[in-house]
Amino acid sequence: MSSQTRILHLLDDATPGGVTRVLDHIRTCPLMGRTAQHKVQMVPKHGTLPECEADMIVSHLSLNWRRVPSLIAFRARHPSLPISHVEHSYTEMFTALNVRSKLRFFAMLRTAYALFDSVIAVSEGQAKWMRRRQLVTERRLHVIPSAVALDGFRSLRAPNAQPKIIGAIGRLHQQKGFDILIEAFRQLEGQSLSLHIYGTGPDEARLRAAANGDPRIRFMGHVARSEDALEAVDIVAMPSRWEAFGLVALEARAAGRPVICSGVDGLSMSAGPSATVVQGFGVAAWQAALQAATAKGQHTSQDRATSCESDFAQAWHHLIQSHTQHAAQTLSSEAATAMA
Amino acid sequence: MPYASIVVPAYNAETTLFETLASLSAQTFGDFEVVVVDDGSTDTTPHIARLQARRDPRIRLVRQINRGLAGARNSGIAAATGEVIGFCDADDLWRPEKLAAHVAHLQACPEVGLSYSGSALIDERSLPIGHAQRPRLRGVMAEHVFKRNPVGNGSAPVIRRAALEDIMWWPSTETQRAWVFDETFRQSEDIECWLRMALLSDWMLEGVRGLLTEYRVNPGGLSANMSAQLASWERMVTKLRPAAPAFFALHEPAARAYQLRYLARRAISAGDGPAALSHITRAFAQSRRPLAEEPLRTVTTWVAAHATARFGDAPLRFARSVLGSANT
Repeated sequence: MSSQTRILHLLDDATPGGVTRVLDHIRTCPLMGRTAQHKVQMVPKHGTLPECEADMIVSHLSLNWRRVPSLIAFRARHPSLPISHVEHSYTEMFTALNVRSKLRFFAMLRTAYALFDSVIAVSEGQAKWMRRRQLVTERRLHVIPSAVALDGFRSLRAPNAQPKIIGAIGRLHQQKGFDILIEAFRQLEGQSLSLHIYGTGPDEARLRAAANGDPRIRFMGHVARSEDALEAVDIVAMPSRWEAFGLVALEARAAGRPVICSGVDGLSMSAGPSATVVQGFGVAAWQAALQAATAKGQHTSQDRATSCESDFAQAWHHLIQSHTQHAAQTLSSEAATAMA
Repeated sequence: MPYASIVVPAYNAETTLFETLASLSAQTFGDFEVVVVDDGSTDTTPHIARLQARRDPRIRLVRQINRGLAGARNSGIAAATGEVIGFCDADDLWRPEKLAAHVAHLQACPEVGLSYSGSALIDERSLPIGHAQRPRLRGVMAEHVFKRNPVGNGSAPVIRRAALEDIMWWPSTETQRAWVFDETFRQSEDIECWLRMALLSDWMLEGVRGLLTEYRVNPGGLSANMSAQLASWERMVTKLRPAAPAFFALHEPAARAYQLRYLARRAISAGDGPAALSHITRAFAQSRRPLAEEPLRTVTTWVAAHATARFGDAPLRFARSVLGSANT
């Protein structure tokens, strides 16, 4: 055990959500633990990053101009240590809807990414964007779709053959687009249908107002286990405005719940081939998609995302191996040079 | 394959198409094709296109049953093979250096998806009327597109294929090809497309210097369809608002005020005093931002609207010559 490669993951935002769930998985997954020992360290959002002792560092930090100087210092203090970065946040649609000065933003990302030995995109869609904007060189860009432990989802009972409950799971924030969903749902006929919204967030009051007392729309609050939310719904709707990966889509797949989602960034890929992708954010288009999904009996062609965890572990294993072997070679050649 | 494609949507354009195509053939940057889309014309438009194609093999003709301007542009995009795709309506003209300027711009700035320029306005005899569209060229944000549409007109932009593909979608009712322009719009199809690109992709819109397009304005038929124009603008807002509600909450009143001010100016041009007055009054009710951002033009419009309402079109010539164009 002691000879295992030690991987240290840095995190600066412990808010429960997709990133912390993926890190929990990395830390606890037995497949991951077979080839390396993974630890997570919390670091402050601003200011100096600590000295780290490990064979490889993986940053899950949120990047911005204020972070860049501390990253440069961190890189300088760990010159021969492989350092990777997983990009959980930024995507094309994030940029489109949130960034005022695109050139400045791309310059920040290029500067920050250049400090890492590799940058990991969490979806093909995100990687495509990174390539097109030339944020990172092809050689240093890797794609590892996110994963969590899915067995709990796979063992859930099948959803109602005639769907009755549409589920929306996530932070109540404009990113998730639940405002579109509520408006579309309110125009949907059918008293037996309901929309259950799981999660909390800054837009809660606005969304409750938008629901306008429609008794079919229920706000369920936060649930500790996503399995419980997914078990209680028949369909999952994700009208996200941007989504680097979209963990809920993967969990819904594993739970055998049909997914209706927007086509942004990496989301449609995470939702799998059987998902219904709605183009644009039009309320009418969403209403039509919800109508179609609730009217028909369900296809049971769900793939349940069977190989997800093993693919994830394998991809990480390859990445770690390529970096640590390379580092070892560099060190030994440096040693050889020093000896000579 | 040519580096650039120029899509020319043409519907009953026999009086102007020859001149349009001649202006394209005369471009100083020569590596291009012209895709003329005959949108179900009932005149000699396809004949003229074929004649020109015989003289310049870079020109080819695509024909379809009438689908409207957006539909013709979409068919042109589907047929185009270039890396960058420009648009020139069949009654407008490109100055010889236009394509070269946009190609150089797009090659120098990989983040720019849509490159446009200012336009000189011409009359039905292709003579300059002395007015121009001189838009903001740099630092263009989505709100600039929404409020002042710097792209200006449908013959101004040259767009990267990748940017078009980013905003392309395939409606469920469509069997032949994807849409870039929304064919359910009969007006505002341009601004809807540019604003969608500005809001829902990370491509930048940027202009190059010079009045590189000659944009034809017809003196008649200006105020007739003003209410239809406002309605289609409102439909665009309704369509795009769910994509970025915060953006619209912030900029919608000012953008609507600019739109109403624009309609007021067109009503003044047409000598329609009551319409001008009604539009400028509604514009001020929406937002005072145009007054703060463009005081001279806004005050001019307000004065001209009141003058036109009171004295008919008598003060129009005076107001025009002293205070600038009523066409932009």
